[in-house]
Amino acid sequence: MKIGFLGLGIMGRPMALNLLKGGHAVTVWARRPESMQPLLDAGAIPAASPAEVARDNELVISMVADAPDVAEVMRGVAQGAAPGLVAVDMSTIAPAAARRIGEELAAAGVDFVDAPVSGGEVGAIAGTLSIMAGGSEAAFARAKPAFECMGKNVVHVGASGAGQVTKAANQIVTGMGVLAVAEAFAFASKNGVDVGKVREALLGGFAYSKILENHGQRMLDRNFKPGFKSWMHEKDLNIVMQTAYELGLCLPGSAATAQMFNAMVGSGLGEEDSIAVLKLLEKLSGQA
Amino acid sequence: MKIGFIGLGAMGRPMALHLQKAGHELFVWARRPESAAGLPATICATPAELGRHCEVIFTVITSSADVEGVALGEHGLIEGMVPGSVLVDCSTIAPDAARTIAAKLLEKGIYFLDAPVSGGAQGAIDATLAIMAGGEAEVLERVRPLLDCLGKRIVHVGPNGAGQVAKACNQMIMVAAIQAVAEAMRLASAAGVDCAKVKAALSGGSAASRVLDVMGERMVTGNYAAGIEARLHHKDFGLVLKAARKSGVAVPLAAVVGQQLNALMAQGWGRDDTASLRRLLEVHC
Repeated sequence: MKIGFLGLGIMGRPMALNLLKGGHAVTVWARRPESMQPLLDAGAIPAASPAEVARDNELVISMVADAPDVAEVMRGVAQGAAPGLVAVDMSTIAPAAARRIGEELAAAGVDFVDAPVSGGEVGAIAGTLSIMAGGSEAAFARAKPAFECMGKNVVHVGASGAGQVTKAANQIVTGMGVLAVAEAFAFASKNGVDVGKVREALLGGFAYSKILENHGQRMLDRNFKPGFKSWMHEKDLNIVMQTAYELGLCLPGSAATAQMFNAMVGSGLGEEDSIAVLKLLEKLSGQA
Repeated sequence: MKIGFIGLGAMGRPMALHLQKAGHELFVWARRPESAAGLPATICATPAELGRHCEVIFTVITSSADVEGVALGEHGLIEGMVPGSVLVDCSTIAPDAARTIAAKLLEKGIYFLDAPVSGGAQGAIDATLAIMAGGEAEVLERVRPLLDCLGKRIVHVGPNGAGQVAKACNQMIMVAAIQAVAEAMRLASAAGVDCAKVKAALSGGSAASRVLDVMGERMVTGNYAAGIEARLHHKDFGLVLKAARKSGVAVPLAAVVGQQLNALMAQGWGRDDTASLRRLLEVHC
């Protein structure tokens, strides 16, 4: 398939590379031309603008930072698009923003799918991302071969915006999950109990989770390198809280967690992995 | 002096009347003309027209977007106000929005004060509002005689935006206090103790506060008619939490109170008084 790819950052670059490996013809565009080079070396075709990418391809995928960036590149896509084009955004943005962008694209005859991912840089490189998609059945079917090159667990959740709702739900669980593991570790540690042994014991029971296993290990190793930067988790939790505010939805746990991430960004921990919330807990409890 | 007034709701109307009674000539513009009915004022067709007539203009409206629209939008104040005139915005809006409006107006030589108020509709009627002002000191001094007609405590907090920051702080403290009183009343009642007696006892001690007096009374008597519509506090908490996020500070209590307000909205009590936080606790259990 002829696929266009917009945005070649930490996530976008390996995702586009996996499309090339899957045998697709990939056209790329990035705001900073130098980030295109690794893709061109691997056989991708360069383009000068999102509109040009849209003109020459059957499927266009974006992976950029935030809703305004998605809206901007998709405006370009709409300008260059022939009717019947499918546009997929895999960034994490607010469900309401995704629905709005979907409507704007529909007016230009473009079918839109919001398909955010979970799994981080590691999952992007390995092609094992979880992909949660929202959009029409037909558009999802068109994009599916591309999804299968980038991810393992590909789920069509529902209509436009449903993918972003799912991602926000994912961030509620992972945000509180990381905080829960960090609190359990801080609790054990201040009680003078070996945290490594606690983790090992808990892994066999109902508290088992991937977060306890992977993030928990990194907390033990005090390896705070991202991974997933805490400022990005803060951004995602803000999407959750903003949506809760608009809907009249009471999320006390998420609200408390979002404040911890707020404090991390404010105290210079934003560039560290979100497990650095452990450091904040230690500071608050006089353990640092 | 020729004074303009936009926003003739529960707060704005009594404020406008105080200025008129103090001997000023009143010009008004209202989105819904019927809200200007019965006012001893000249009714203008657009904010721009109102701007052309007046030396000082007051706005008391709901959201950042509304104030921006009236001030900077099509047929907005900026198209009519003359250099040297002053816009005093008594609405509660985002500090950033206040700064933006101030900068745009200043390009045309028009001065801006953010001057949000606290004290509610009763404070507006009694002319006892607390007014927290952001802007240049000289501009505040020029309009101080007018503000004296509206409120008792007028504080120059700092440059543009500072008044709105102070108002956000006011809302954080007040609504958290309402939640605290609601929880205490809930606990007393669940323990089979007379809430009115508890309130009376507490009023003499360290927990005494205006919120305990006013909101506690509403809770004891089950009087949830607004008052201050809870949806406005919900809106203000949106501003507070956004500002905290932008500054990278943790506001754990405000965050939880914000969730209670979200739940209150979901119960359909947005147009009732914020004392409804007491009722919400019965939804919990």
